Amino acid sequence: MNQTASSRQESDRLASKGWLKSLLARPEIGPIGVMLLLFGMLGYFSIPAGEFSLNPFAGEGFNALGIRNNLRVIAQLGIIALGAGLLIIAGEFDLSIGSMIGFAGACMAMVLRWGFAIVIPYISFEGGVHIEFFTLIYIENVSPIGAILITMCFTLFFGWLQGYIVVRSGLPSFIVTLGGLFFLRGLTEVSLRAFNHRPDQTKGATTVTELPDMKNIINVPGHGEIEREAAKALPEADLQAILQTVPADTVASITERLAYTYQRVADAKTEIMAAKGVKPLERALENAIESGNETMVATIREKIETFTVTPVTPRTVTDLDVVRTYIDSIPSAQPVANFFGGDILEPIFDFLYFPVDWNTNNFGNQFAPGLYSCVMIWLILALICYVVLSRTQAGNWIYSTGGNLQAAKANGVPTDRVKVSLFVFSAFCATIFATCQVFEVNTADAAKGNLKELEAIAAAVIGGIVMTGGFGTVMGIIVGAFIFGIAKEAFFYIPGIDGSFYRVFLGLVIIASALLNENIRKRIMGTL
Amino acid sequence: MADNATEPLIETTGLVKNFGSFTALNGVDLKVYPGEVHALLGDNGAGKSTLIKILSGVFKPTAGEIRVEGRPVSFASPRDATDAGIGTVYQDLALNALTSVTRNFFLGREITHFPGPFGVMKMAEMDEIATREMAKIGINVADPNQAVGTMSGGQRQTLAIARAIYFGAKVLILDEPTSALGQKQQMEVLKTIRKVQKLGDIAIILITHNEIHARLIADRFTFLSLGEVIGQGTSKDLEGDDIKRLMAGGAEIGDLAKELAV
Repeated sequence: MNQTASSRQESDRLASKGWLKSLLARPEIGPIGVMLLLFGMLGYFSIPAGEFSLNPFAGEGFNALGIRNNLRVIAQLGIIALGAGLLIIAGEFDLSIGSMIGFAGACMAMVLRWGFAIVIPYISFEGGVHIEFFTLIYIENVSPIGAILITMCFTLFFGWLQGYIVVRSGLPSFIVTLGGLFFLRGLTEVSLRAFNHRPDQTKGATTVTELPDMKNIINVPGHGEIEREAAKALPEADLQAILQTVPADTVASITERLAYTYQRVADAKTEIMAAKGVKPLERALENAIESGNETMVATIREKIETFTVTPVTPRTVTDLDVVRTYIDSIPSAQPVANFFGGDILEPIFDFLYFPVDWNTNNFGNQFAPGLYSCVMIWLILALICYVVLSRTQAGNWIYSTGGNLQAAKANGVPTDRVKVSLFVFSAFCATIFATCQVFEVNTADAAKGNLKELEAIAAAVIGGIVMTGGFGTVMGIIVGAFIFGIAKEAFFYIPGIDGSFYRVFLGLVIIASALLNENIRKRIMGTL
Repeated sequence: MADNATEPLIETTGLVKNFGSFTALNGVDLKVYPGEVHALLGDNGAGKSTLIKILSGVFKPTAGEIRVEGRPVSFASPRDATDAGIGTVYQDLALNALTSVTRNFFLGREITHFPGPFGVMKMAEMDEIATREMAKIGINVADPNQAVGTMSGGQRQTLAIARAIYFGAKVLILDEPTSALGQKQQMEVLKTIRKVQKLGDIAIILITHNEIHARLIADRFTFLSLGEVIGQGTSKDLEGDDIKRLMAGGAEIGDLAKELAV
């Protein structure tokens, strides 16, 4: 054989790629491009009319409140997209996510409101055959962590059951979880109506309201655990008594900060008054110029020049203001409720208000108190998923289960266990989503989470997950959630366009992403 | 080559397998020695697949005995066979084309920093082992992180063989390793088999339809027809025409030639 020919190996045909080419071959590159485009759109279109800026962060979309609200939408979607995405990588679907959210929220709210009981029905023959109930356990006051754990027992069981049916029967997960979608939504409505009815009503509502504001229950000296708003509404004498317990340096820093706030509010008022005062004069001036009345023009000009507004004097800081602000700063006595439903990064957002003066609204007050806690929970979950999927043995099993089921089985991968675990994880993510919602808004509704399963799957697809399984990354799922979550906001700010165009846009992005993903998959499979 | 080897690595005596009233195997004796390629030849339905499925633990024999290194064994599952040192490389190779060479090499047996499925994999160590083990039998992977899908059929075959050997296969069963490949890649696979043979301590059972391939590298032949051994011997014992005749299931090739001529 020819020496040169034989020294050339098959592997040499795989041309080594440059860094740019290998960067472009990353599955996340397309979605990241779309994400940056949307960021730019959101930034530039939300710059108020009549202002010019090259800096997209000058727009309303990226002010403190915009960031707070957008990140909440993204994080909520991101949480369930992780569960849906990992399951798709393993080759299965979960259409029950949305119903699972509704079920978990309702279950948690009901347990928090009415407690938890295990009741055994039995047939009694005393005094005619009828059904009696034997109460095995009844816990009236369930703590937030207790409610979460009880809910998890139910939702994880349903997740497990769906997974078990799929791997045991070999039915498509589409059908099994479609059943789960209807079953769970129905179960939620039925149980809410059954538990939630008042004596004067035949049927109950499918919502739970009047839950205590768990995350804002605080320990006030001398009053025990009460809600923050109730504490602030205490009689003056009580508030004065509370003030005596506050250390002097805390009082000093609160006073300084309140003085700043009042000054800032007064300045804002002055500005608004000035703007309001001059505007009619300017309009009159335009009219005068049009009509050509020289004396009028001169008079109005003079008036505008000499127009002054007496600056608004800021409020003085009173003891009651100080103590109410102090009550606001007391940490929650319910750490679990606060972990899921509270805010994070509050010191940073405080700092951005005072002294930085960025987190300030038009009236001079602090704009956003912090970020929603679900953002942190999402990032923690995403980090765990990233490590598991790309660094651990379990991750390799997930990829191979979805990529080539027979090969995974032949190599001793417990593929059934992998799939069932991921169904359980998907239910877990839905429950986390519901937990955040319940503790944020203190209500539950049987209609919560409607269509969320499709949004989660769409986010995963946009993020580069191949629907046939075996391919995708956690980074991609994160980017997909960003795109889906931000598209609505970005389109909202485009002047003169129907807000629903964001759906048109997302539809196109989903199809384009799916085509791109398929192309990448074929390239890797070597069939393209 | 291994004629004078004292003890076969794997030996079957009187292996019978019935599926209901159908007799798939009817008393098969087989001896495979270390450092030897044993070609298992036969027409479709001769019982080759049944035989290797018994050896790799997929089926349990109805009667008969399997000995590995002289000790009688009984396999309840493919895992048992693998643990006993019998590595089977099936036609589909059991590879996931979407993931990397290393991830496939260690699939199901990943090296991790701590036990349990959430153990973080030692990627650098695994890359190094996969590259080294494949180089041993003749293929230098350019990048152990390249997806298996980008590799040629021959390279994939090598990956599957290297994997089986690394995880302790003393007996390597290759199920039609050349069947779905192009001419050049077939030669590559044969070269790989030759390299494994030269390692000296591994016995190879080669299932093939291709008598040319068998004659190129096999040291010993077993011909199956209708579930029975119809011929056995070393490459020296068998003449070229014998092989042709036995391949055709024992029918006189001459008769066939006559029939075709009519």
